[in-house]
Amino acid sequence: MGEAQRKIKNYRLRRRLSYGGRLAILLGWLAVCVVPILILVMASLKPTNLFQTIPEILSFQGMTLENYSRALRGGNFFLYLRNSMIISLSALVVVLVVCTPMAYGITRLPSIRQKNIVVFSVLSTRFLPYVVLAMPMFMLFRQLGISGTLTGVILAHLAMQMPMIVWLMLGFFSGIPLEVEEAAVIDGCSPFQTFWRISLPMVLPGLNASAILALIISYNEFLFAFFLAGRNTQPLTVGITRFVGGVDVGAQYGVVAAYGSLIIIPIILFALVANRYIVSGLTQGAVKG
Amino acid sequence: MATQRYFRPWYFIFPGAMLGLITLGYPIVQAIYHSFHAVTMRRLGDGVFVGMDNFVQLFGDHLFLRSIMATISFTLGSTVLAVAFGLFIASVMSSQGIRGTALARFFMAFFLVPFVTTQVVTGILGRLYVWQSSYGLVNFLLETIGLERVRWLTSMDHAMTATVVTNGWRMAPLALLIFYAALATIPDEIVESAEVDGASFLTLWFRIKYPMIRFHLGFVSLIILTSAFREFDVIYGLTGGGPGRSTEVLSILVYRLGVTQGNMGMANAVSVTMLVIVSVITIAAVKIGKLGAMSE
Repeated sequence: MGEAQRKIKNYRLRRRLSYGGRLAILLGWLAVCVVPILILVMASLKPTNLFQTIPEILSFQGMTLENYSRALRGGNFFLYLRNSMIISLSALVVVLVVCTPMAYGITRLPSIRQKNIVVFSVLSTRFLPYVVLAMPMFMLFRQLGISGTLTGVILAHLAMQMPMIVWLMLGFFSGIPLEVEEAAVIDGCSPFQTFWRISLPMVLPGLNASAILALIISYNEFLFAFFLAGRNTQPLTVGITRFVGGVDVGAQYGVVAAYGSLIIIPIILFALVANRYIVSGLTQGAVKG
Repeated sequence: MATQRYFRPWYFIFPGAMLGLITLGYPIVQAIYHSFHAVTMRRLGDGVFVGMDNFVQLFGDHLFLRSIMATISFTLGSTVLAVAFGLFIASVMSSQGIRGTALARFFMAFFLVPFVTTQVVTGILGRLYVWQSSYGLVNFLLETIGLERVRWLTSMDHAMTATVVTNGWRMAPLALLIFYAALATIPDEIVESAEVDGASFLTLWFRIKYPMIRFHLGFVSLIILTSAFREFDVIYGLTGGGPGRSTEVLSILVYRLGVTQGNMGMANAVSVTMLVIVSVITIAAVKIGKLGAMSE
């Protein structure tokens, strides 16, 4: 037996983990990811006045929708849903309209020095602790008289989204070759036309990914709304915390579970459908080096 | 390049820069300003300048120092957990026969669920069904394998563990996704030929895989570290900072000082401390890891 064949034989013998073994690990991790969510959803379908063990919660016996009707009646669900929608969609529109051109402009800066300064100021706000913004905003909005309004919460969401969206779009725009734009300029496009007709269409998948991530983050956001929203302007995430205190429903776990399920099921389904964009958005900027 | 001047980049940057100054710059300046003043809820407009008093008082307060310790445990703990599990699952997913298949895409879609689940609901779900001591999931599993129940959220010794694991669970998908994308770019031939040449598992990792994902390891650690450092939602939903302030990280402390107790000066002093810490981390990361080059 030649040297090479012996090596290959050794290699085959030492092959680490079988396909089945690796599959089992992945299935195990799938359970870790999904089972807690399943427990919440199944618990929301069980009678609210019973404390149940995990096997009882996960069984299909004695299912009821009573928790949902109570969550929808007692918790101002639709008002808070409306607030969630207004906040996330308004923040999304403003942030895209402002940040997409900004990211484009940054990548087209002629001087590397200027570019580095602008990029660093964006980067430095990206990791900012949110309370650093929320606390002064809380005070400022009281003085301005917009405390407890949707406008205040939306402004805070803009602050939260801007660094991330500029960051993501920078990556997508710098992928466009400058020659394409120079050709457009030679054909008589103005700077704005070049951006709108040539560059923007080329980053459309990136724009989708950014928009979807921004939407998910705004919908899930709790801290800013908790600091800044009023009783009638709070989104769903703040609404549910009032249940847990038990003031409204007397700490009935089933109703809390139903309310929680109503919040997370839509966003999880949305994320599963838009998976491709989320993957591309989250890996952007990380996987190029 | 001369033609780049034609694109008039500053016109495109201007609106965003303005919005950034209003929504980010101004509040940061305000936070720093208020941290040197005694401000209360009643008299928001006319705080009295007190110099470093707020900071002196903070650093002399053992509750603040405990909050710093809690923040360190929480931040490092959940980062290590998320990165370790992310790396492990990503290396399994990027192995031959699984990477790039429809099966891998199916798994990845569901592996992202913890990350997109509303954080405050994750916390509440953890409190009511996962860490609950008499019939929660974790104690159910512990009893099934014959171990004792643990009072996870009602004892000061174990609440931090539960909080760290919950946040690690939430952040692991991000690490997993980025490591998977990075590992999948390493060609099969390189790994195979190293294996045929007799490279051990560890050699393979440290000589071939680690150098190729080093950058991503740094990037993911920075992202998860900074986002765990500012985390509020998960902890508020899970423990509310309790029991006995054992999980009261700095973000929660800012809320309690500023909104609950109405002591805005002190609250802002805490957030300015956080700002300093996160700036040091970011600058160190940029200097050490050349992360500034990411956008090029």
